[in-house]
Amino acid sequence: MNPSNSNITRRRVLTAALAAPVISKMPWVISPARAGSTVNLQFMYPVGVSGDINTIITGMIADFNEQHPGIVVEAVYAGTYESTEQKVITDIGVGAPPALWLPINSALQTFLGVDALEDLTDVAKADDIYEDFIGGFLDTCISDGRLYGLSFQPSTPVLYYNKAALAEAGVEAAPETWDDLFETAQALTIRGGDTPSRWGLTVGGGWHDWIFEAFCRQNELLPWEGDKVLWDRPEAVEALQFWKAMVDVGCMAPSSTWQGSANDFMAGSTAMLYHSTGSLTNLRTSSSFDVGVAMMPKRKVWGASQGGGPIMIAKNQSDAHKEAAWTFARWMTSTDVQAEWGMATGYLAVRKSSWETKVMQDYLAKVPEARTALNQAEYSGAYLQVPAYARARDVIKSAIDRTLVGEIEPEAALTAAATDMNREIARVMRRQRG
Amino acid sequence: MTSNPARLRRNEALLAFAMLAPSLLFLALFTYWPIVRSVWFSFHDVLLGDPEIFWLGAENYTRLLEDHLFWKVLGNTAFYTLVTVPVSILIALLLAVALDGKLRGLAIYRSAFFYPVMIPTVAAGMVWVFLYAPGYGPINVALESVGVPQPGWLNNSRWALPAIMVMSVWKLSGYFMLILMAALKLVPSDLHEAARLDGVGGMQRLIHITIPMISPALYFVTIIGVLHSYQVFDYVHVMTQGGPADSTNVLTFYIYQVGFQYQDIGYASTLATTLLLFVLGLIGLIAATLGRRVHYLGER
Repeated sequence: MNPSNSNITRRRVLTAALAAPVISKMPWVISPARAGSTVNLQFMYPVGVSGDINTIITGMIADFNEQHPGIVVEAVYAGTYESTEQKVITDIGVGAPPALWLPINSALQTFLGVDALEDLTDVAKADDIYEDFIGGFLDTCISDGRLYGLSFQPSTPVLYYNKAALAEAGVEAAPETWDDLFETAQALTIRGGDTPSRWGLTVGGGWHDWIFEAFCRQNELLPWEGDKVLWDRPEAVEALQFWKAMVDVGCMAPSSTWQGSANDFMAGSTAMLYHSTGSLTNLRTSSSFDVGVAMMPKRKVWGASQGGGPIMIAKNQSDAHKEAAWTFARWMTSTDVQAEWGMATGYLAVRKSSWETKVMQDYLAKVPEARTALNQAEYSGAYLQVPAYARARDVIKSAIDRTLVGEIEPEAALTAAATDMNREIARVMRRQRG
Repeated sequence: MTSNPARLRRNEALLAFAMLAPSLLFLALFTYWPIVRSVWFSFHDVLLGDPEIFWLGAENYTRLLEDHLFWKVLGNTAFYTLVTVPVSILIALLLAVALDGKLRGLAIYRSAFFYPVMIPTVAAGMVWVFLYAPGYGPINVALESVGVPQPGWLNNSRWALPAIMVMSVWKLSGYFMLILMAALKLVPSDLHEAARLDGVGGMQRLIHITIPMISPALYFVTIIGVLHSYQVFDYVHVMTQGGPADSTNVLTFYIYQVGFQYQDIGYASTLATTLLLFVLGLIGLIAATLGRRVHYLGER
């Protein structure tokens, strides 16, 4: 990485100069002089991690509105990723979508399926998006070579650990392999009654399907292709058997909730936690002990699934709105805003230049844990980008849950889940083919 | 002044229709038309967010057969109904009878038992999520102090549905109690006095006098209870989202998932139509059995 700021500026100027003639030909990118009246934009967003994200977003929007006379962005908090997506889809159905929204990256095919997304390829090429965004992040918004969003809050799961607990148990380093993980989890578990008074390990529930995909990737399996899921492959079965083994010996909690697991970790009732890197700042600052962050232990290889999402722009709106929406999306993903956003939350800043800013460099010197997820991002890819992904998530979560409580064996659960889901995907594809 | 009876009747009918029209219009627009549309959709492939629909014939209905989750959800809903309705009514009846006398501080008891009804469902759900919380939740803390095993309640696929049912009984009983208390007030006291003079015990009087006399109210709460149980959605949405492992997934929640989370409005409509038929069938069954045994005052 190049630590100098002057290069970025020069590159920007060059890009802008080259881009100007192209941009002016875009149907909806017109000079700002036209904007005599105010454009109102609705931006729907979820909160997908632990911490006071609402306050942070509201502050960012206020800054944007102040700096951009002529555009008023109204931020609409819409709950979880799931409820945000439902609100947006319903609005699309009645022909009144919000100007922009922030879904989980897996929803790309869902929104393309209803032809709701503005194609941003040309305007992004004319800008510095392709050069300055970290490649892997931008890939999650690309379908058939076209770009349909700007990554805003990419994340991966990471392994959080309670440093004090590790020291107490005489464990010197965070686990690096599945075997280490198993041993460490056992060493950290404190028994007492029916349920341990401290679990060795908790996998954040509600998004454990996302974390499970990371385990599959660590076992060298990408458990889906464009039109099917591959959960019945031996690598996936082995991953689930590994979880079940940890649950069976009593060092891993059989179930949890997303917010609850983060609270459990902060309260010391679990010593290690798989959770989103987006929760880093909250976990680090709200825990009474030192929090360590490690890359997720590997089996055959390092591997992670990418969470978080891009900002998408609605196709069905006026050019003036599209233009203003682009201005907003571009601002939200600009160098300094991304650096601040990353530091405030733990989400990964999407731009190479954000990581080179002085504030970010100072922050990384002070909080080296923040770099872990960036290092891991190198081994990460988009999460479950199949049609009907929302149903796919529920199907795999149910299979995992039923396995961990001992209702069904891993292989049978995953085989049934894959069969059911592939039938559903075929149904959706049939519709799309017409 | 002479009045033409036929004309009077016609005027009356017109007036009645005029007064009913607003609510009929409302019902037609927001209830009957959606039902018709939903039945129509159930034979189509309908994607939320996409105006195009495709004819499928009975395919969505044959899907029901191979959909394991549908059968599980149906079983959960039936279990929920079969337990919560009788238990809530029994508790409500006992409370109503106990509070029917001249007890000191009666109003306080009455308010106390009715209180759960006044708490908004979502707030009540959140409170119970806290009560059931493993680790720090008061229920498990209490169980721990007496050395009884503590299940994970809402996190445990075996206990999650019963845990929601307990809360539902807590919330429903107070409402039913109020209805039954009103009914008890109408039971002539001379019947009880006559029976007492004849040496009939309290339990016998309850079974042979009170219950038959308030049977219309009991019938009413049974119907309301069944409708309520089949429509349970809010508790599940707030407390478990249908999990873990779909152990708390019920019909209305599943319809919501399929329609709004999976965008599959066609299949969701099929589920909704099926639910409608089930509820109609069940109500019909109750009317044909319990309904026939209802005793209305003044009827012979």
